[in-house]
Amino acid sequence: MFLDQGPIESTGYMIAGYAVIFGVMLIYLISLFVRTMNLKRDIEVLEDIESTDQRSSTSDQKPAS
Amino acid sequence: MQPKPRALSILDTVTAVLFVLATLMVFLYAPEEAVMGQVQRVFYFHVASAWVGMLGFLVAAVSGVVYLVKGDRKWDIVGLAAIEISLVFFFVAIVMGAIWAKPVWGEWWTWDPRLTTASIVELVYAAYIMLRQGIEDPDRRARFGAVYAILGFISVPLTFVSIRIFRTIHPVVIGNSDPTAKGSFDMSPKMLQTFLFSLFVFSFVFADLLWHRIRLGRLADKVEELRLKVTQ
Amino acid sequence: MQTLQAPPSTREASRSAYPAFLRALGAIVWKDLAAELRSRELLSAMFVFALLVILIFNFALELEPKTRASVTSGVLWVTFAFAGTLGLNRSMAMEKDRGCLDGLLLAPVDRSAIYFGKAIGNLVFMGIVELIVLPVYSVLYSTNLFQPGLLLVILLGSVGYVAVGTLLASMAVQTRTRDVLLPILLFPLVIPVLVAAVKGSSGFLQGADMADIWPWINLLIVYDVIFTAVAFMVFDYVVEE
Repeated sequence: MFLDQGPIESTGYMIAGYAVIFGVMLIYLISLFVRTMNLKRDIEVLEDIESTDQRSSTSDQKPAS
Repeated sequence: MQPKPRALSILDTVTAVLFVLATLMVFLYAPEEAVMGQVQRVFYFHVASAWVGMLGFLVAAVSGVVYLVKGDRKWDIVGLAAIEISLVFFFVAIVMGAIWAKPVWGEWWTWDPRLTTASIVELVYAAYIMLRQGIEDPDRRARFGAVYAILGFISVPLTFVSIRIFRTIHPVVIGNSDPTAKGSFDMSPKMLQTFLFSLFVFSFVFADLLWHRIRLGRLADKVEELRLKVTQ
Repeated sequence: MQTLQAPPSTREASRSAYPAFLRALGAIVWKDLAAELRSRELLSAMFVFALLVILIFNFALELEPKTRASVTSGVLWVTFAFAGTLGLNRSMAMEKDRGCLDGLLLAPVDRSAIYFGKAIGNLVFMGIVELIVLPVYSVLYSTNLFQPGLLLVILLGSVGYVAVGTLLASMAVQTRTRDVLLPILLFPLVIPVLVAAVKGSSGFLQGADMADIWPWINLLIVYDVIFTAVAFMVFDYVVEE
């Protein structure tokens, strides 16, 4: 059939295909990392606010100077 | 967040090594296909990505059922993690499918059953995400997510069958029935080994990403919990 | 030989649970029908909408006699799908807005009666719209659409659509995005119904062999059975507070 002509030249497409999968996987890994960092920072901030809230509510007996 | 468990670090390394090995197999070990040329190599990771997508959907549906039965939040986190990963990998599978289709069939899109079903499943995932985004209450969000994941999962085989009866162009690679279906090819032993190894490796990729994404989900839950406490 | 019998009180209870379920179901269906008969807002909206869709299709597609046969079933089902969404949305929204849903939930009635009641109501509305659209289309395009095979397909397709649609509408109405969300949730899940219904309809319209049409009818029946069962099992989780 086509076998005597040899395979079609499709290396470009193969490269495109693998660029897509490697690229997308990389982007996803980066997104996981960035989101994790953001959430950790959010937790720090929120825990900080929570502890200042607790401190200010226990120190309410002292008048503000 | 708990410190990264040792098992996860080991899984990370194992997965990374296996991934490199699979990539090498695809480019160096598997032979060039006689008719399609180099683009056929796309097939290995294209199917493996679709495999991850289906695994994720199964995990999400099962988590959904368990969540509805037990009410334990952790199953909701698992479900969302699985759907997100599936969303990414099905997207990859669809795009790689189109890239494979162009030189072989002459068109970017051929409306064949498998890719069409994959696109519909992708839309189900997107709908799942949009459903969750429209709900404030975490419990309701989890319940509705679980219900939709279950319904979605059940619809997939029916969707596939309906489109399959509707038209058939997709190459039959394993156990070919219609030799005139354009773009089909017989797999030589080396190709088969590369293919099976890719599926095996991507199962690890799925498990690894799922574990990481679940940890992320727990962090997100904690943030939401703290936000509620602080704004009271 | 004496057969064991449950004490009279439990026998009474189990005997009356079944009719109680049916009574609740009937009450819900009747409530929707009666309300609609009085105001007719839902039906007129669906009907006008369906006519507009057919009108748009007239300009969007070449509905010449030659191509008409192959395209008719597609046009019909797109029309039904969109009008159906309208009906589902409005039906659930009315429950939520008037607080009827909460009232229903407080009643000592099996939740599934609510599901089936709403679903049957929705099916009736969709059916009424379909029964009006068919003669209109038949007249506009000189095609006789009143064939038993076609009517069967329309029935089976509508059942599947409404089974899933009622459940999803109950969810969508409880979110922030409400109406917009229902088609997004519904259409991907309902593809098998649309595909099978369109192919089944054109099969009957073009006089194809029953052997070719059977797979589609089978698919519709399978879908209807599976999804009605799943929707009714899962409905409790969707309406609990």
